[in-house]
Amino acid sequence: MLNINYPKIEKKDYPNLELNLVEPIHKLNLRGKSRDFFTKAGRILSIMLPPEPNTSATIKSISALWLSPDEWMVYGKDIEKNLMLSLDSEISKLNLGSVTDVSDQWVLINMRGKNVFEVLSKGSSFDFNQFKNNKNVVVQTLLNHVDVILHHNDINNVDLFVRKSFSEHLWLWINDSSSFL
Amino acid sequence: MFIITCPFCGERDQSEFSAGGEAHIVRPKQPTELSDDEWADFLFMRKNIKGVQFERWNHAHGCRKWFNVIRDTSNDKIHAVYKMGEKPPSD
Repeated sequence: MLNINYPKIEKKDYPNLELNLVEPIHKLNLRGKSRDFFTKAGRILSIMLPPEPNTSATIKSISALWLSPDEWMVYGKDIEKNLMLSLDSEISKLNLGSVTDVSDQWVLINMRGKNVFEVLSKGSSFDFNQFKNNKNVVVQTLLNHVDVILHHNDINNVDLFVRKSFSEHLWLWINDSSSFL
Repeated sequence: MFIITCPFCGERDQSEFSAGGEAHIVRPKQPTELSDDEWADFLFMRKNIKGVQFERWNHAHGCRKWFNVIRDTSNDKIHAVYKMGEKPPSD
């Protein structure tokens, strides 16, 4: 059974780095290829799913992240139940694509401050040089051998998604690495 | 360690990928008509050459898409990357 108290993450401050758990927050995984899928998802969410690799689109408090040519993650606090029901009835049930609620599968940790990429670079082989200068970019990579999705939504402000079962381990690693800043 | 350019995500470290073996091995159209040796040949026998080889790779820790790579196994130099279903570059 899902333990809603896991992971135990409390806000932490380090020199030029602030770590915070952003939960609960709705997260949806959308998959589809057809033109109808794009049209309906865009109309229901009021946001166009970004077709460009490694990019995101944000309107109000809802963000859509490119994950692969036919897969996106949509997250935000304003995703209401009616919206999810609309996606389900107009996309899933018509076989235009798939809509999966992954809110409990991923944990969102927000990292902000000038030292964000100092910490991330310690555990990832990804080259953050261009990434850190661009807003609304996304990367799926490994951080300390753990799969993560990184959304650079503002300069020096990163939303980090990690699978729930790995979240505490990664959180401890991030804190350990940050303590050496 | 080497860099692979995923046709969807761009340049990434090899640790994000998993190798899927030799590419362009066509499944026999009539498997039931094959002898045991022919079937074993299709299933298990690979060229495994030292030199330029056509391989399948999966961006397991990224977009999770499969694609083809032309790689020199002797020095890990990648000559070309192309999507599944596409023909390999002629040069």
